[in-house]
Amino acid sequence: MADKQEKGYSQKKRMLHILVVVCLMFLSLITYLLYFNMFEAKEVAGNPYNKRQWEDERFVKRGNIYDRDGELLAETVVNGDSRTRRYPKGNLYSHVIGYYSRVYGKSQLEMAYDKELLGQGDITLSFQELRSGYNLNLTIDHDLQQYAYQQLGGRKGAVVALEPQTGKVLAMVSCPDFAPEAAALEKNWNTIVEREDAPLLARATQGLYAPGSTYKIATAAAAYDTGRIAETFEDTGTFTQGGMKVDNYGKKAYGEIGLKRGFELSSNFVFCTLGYELGPDKVKETAEKFGVNKEIPFDISVSRSKIQYKKIEKEDAALVSIGQGQLLMTPLHVAMMGASVANGGKMMRPYLVDTVTTVSGVKLSATKPDVLYQSMTEDCAAYLDDLMQGVVKNGTGSGARISGVTVAGKTGTAENETNKDHAWFVGYAPAEAPSIAVAVLLEYDGGAGGSNAAPIARRVMQKYLNSMR
Amino acid sequence: MARFKGLNYRRPAYLLILMNLFGFGLLFVKNSYDTKMLYVGAGLLGLFLILYTIIVLCRMGDKFIALMACMLITIGVLLLCRIDLSFGIRQIVWVAVGGIAFFVAYLVYYHIRFWDRMWMVYVILGTGLFLATLIFGKTINGARNWIAVGNVTVQPSELTKILYIMFLACYYSKAWDKPLGRITPKWGTLMVTYLFIGFLVLQRDWGTILVLFAIYIFMTYVYEKNYGFLLMNIAAALVVAFLGYRFLYHIQVRVSTWLNPWEDISNTGYQITQSLFAIASGNYFGRGLGNGSPGYIPEVHSDFIFAAVCEEMGVFGGAAIILLFFLIAYRCFKIAILAKDAYDKAVCFGLTLMFAVQTFIIVGGVIKLIPLTGITLPFVSYGGTSIVVNFVSLGIIQAISAKEERHGGEKGGR
Repeated sequence: MADKQEKGYSQKKRMLHILVVVCLMFLSLITYLLYFNMFEAKEVAGNPYNKRQWEDERFVKRGNIYDRDGELLAETVVNGDSRTRRYPKGNLYSHVIGYYSRVYGKSQLEMAYDKELLGQGDITLSFQELRSGYNLNLTIDHDLQQYAYQQLGGRKGAVVALEPQTGKVLAMVSCPDFAPEAAALEKNWNTIVEREDAPLLARATQGLYAPGSTYKIATAAAAYDTGRIAETFEDTGTFTQGGMKVDNYGKKAYGEIGLKRGFELSSNFVFCTLGYELGPDKVKETAEKFGVNKEIPFDISVSRSKIQYKKIEKEDAALVSIGQGQLLMTPLHVAMMGASVANGGKMMRPYLVDTVTTVSGVKLSATKPDVLYQSMTEDCAAYLDDLMQGVVKNGTGSGARISGVTVAGKTGTAENETNKDHAWFVGYAPAEAPSIAVAVLLEYDGGAGGSNAAPIARRVMQKYLNSMR
Repeated sequence: MARFKGLNYRRPAYLLILMNLFGFGLLFVKNSYDTKMLYVGAGLLGLFLILYTIIVLCRMGDKFIALMACMLITIGVLLLCRIDLSFGIRQIVWVAVGGIAFFVAYLVYYHIRFWDRMWMVYVILGTGLFLATLIFGKTINGARNWIAVGNVTVQPSELTKILYIMFLACYYSKAWDKPLGRITPKWGTLMVTYLFIGFLVLQRDWGTILVLFAIYIFMTYVYEKNYGFLLMNIAAALVVAFLGYRFLYHIQVRVSTWLNPWEDISNTGYQITQSLFAIASGNYFGRGLGNGSPGYIPEVHSDFIFAAVCEEMGVFGGAAIILLFFLIAYRCFKIAILAKDAYDKAVCFGLTLMFAVQTFIIVGGVIKLIPLTGITLPFVSYGGTSIVVNFVSLGIIQAISAKEERHGGEKGGR
């Protein structure tokens, strides 16, 4: 009897154990459901295979996209139940506006401004009537974009033009590109994806490159900060430190030169020495002042420029100071760096979408210019302005000279994993009252920035200045 | 019996009435004032009220389990009507049949006293049903577990779950203690378990296998004094599961789509990804009844109804369903623990586990917590057999609860 009692007791206890297990089972269901909703749902819902995303569009005519002068860049043609997204400018905006496909989803502005283009948040009284989404008016100058595209002439690379005072993107070209209309995209997708030159990569915003000597702008700013602008250097043509050797471009030795002349001639010796002596901390701090290692808030997604060292040594600091080593930046970011000098040290937040308007033209929102970083003091910017003018006047950047206009700039020829260097130029004009800043990158170009990239930048700036007159 | 007079039994019923009024009212408006929705809603509510009134008036034990089941049915029927009105209407017919089955099961279970002596009957009936399925069965969605009777298809494996539980209870209540030939009851139950599982493997009904085996393991844990037998079973299951994974393509696909459904969205991962899209689109509060797109989810009316609930009523709606199931399980546990008769205790415990495990398996599968195995969500999913069998189980639990309530401390009825 006692045995039975005892057994009954333990049986009840074990039943309670099972109750606890069942509790935990249900609890795990709820926990996982909440976890899924908090951390995974957004990405899952945005998957192009989720057909729900296309539902709203049955009743909506997706908004148009215009350049700053009202030039049509993207529209939706409605034919009965079918909707076709058309891009009248062909490939030109494939890396700015992106594509819009039921199979491969959306990209760039089509993705980022999906809600606005669909006119969501609008109160509708009728479900059956075709509604119009909102239009986007970009800061892009279509003529300049077209011109920059021609100047690139099919070469791999990117051209980014900004308005220094506001951060407005005037032109942003990445090459190679692709035909963004859904029908063409879906037909060519596999070819596009497999092509070795990666046409889907938006080089201007998502390509990461060693900035090369254009980065000496930041190093010169650090030198100004630490009061080292009056020093002279004994340039032997090769910077040697602890087994590491860095030659000047073309292995030239410049002898005794100051910082200004070193900048104009783009002496690696001078800037490696500076970087080495400033030390890793100061070099990293300077880079971060210019926004390296930080996200750039932009209308479309931008890769983060970065210094990829786990632990940065003094030799690494020397390399970073001339834009080599593990320092990588996007062309957009290099353009912003140049524009910040033109704007008295204020790096503006770049933007593409100027206003969002309804079909009837009512302005719903307008982007306001905003200072992203004070990357240097105003005095320092003035000093750098002088240096950069010198580069074009009597340095490596002579290819960017425009008669009657003072141009400031910096060239770069960046070594990379191949034996063909990237050619860079970043500059702005007119130096007295800058209205445009341009960065040009020619990927794996093999030539020098001064001879190959600078002329493109010159022509783009000239075109823009002429159009303003 | 003061609590019969108070609000105690009325207030939760109001919630049910409100849910029906709002739900069907909304569908009525949403479907451009289709009066059929109102009739359906009224019909369903009428059935619930009759059911509940009888339970309360006849003092049939625990009043709230059936009420919570009615709430689950309401949610299910609302979604079914919204997906396809004809599903909803047929489901209501099944709810009516199930309601009758509920009272029949209640009365039969309550008044017959020799359930614990019939273990042989359960085994023969169960085996017979399996054989009939294998011979006459139809394959629907990869599982050969349907029999067509006239123009109705029934799923005998639903019924075998109850038979299996009643069989297990015979042994665990010590009513079956004489060995059959050389086979002791302990090994007998083991053999029958694996026999049933073997049949289910032939039918490719992995969900039911999991339910039966989980019930067996949990019951073994509660009733077997030492852990040796339990551990042996678990070890055997692990070996079998591993072999199954190695050699059965079906299982490999299920595991790989569970680990990464995104790899093959248009093919093997289609079902689960569609389900996840629905849940992800619903967010916390859902897109609203009638605003979602359950049509994209395959099998949305049966196995995947939980995904549709999450889309239209949100993750909180889904959590509410899980909590309702938990409350049902909790009250059933209480009945099982309080039951005096050993056989009643074991049956009630087994049926409780059936509800709990089945819910966990299908909800876990639909939200990708565990690999997906097709099985119905009790009371919510569309399906005649499922609804009737669940009502029968509920009737049995109700009878056990009524015995307890009426006879109190005495040995109930027997």
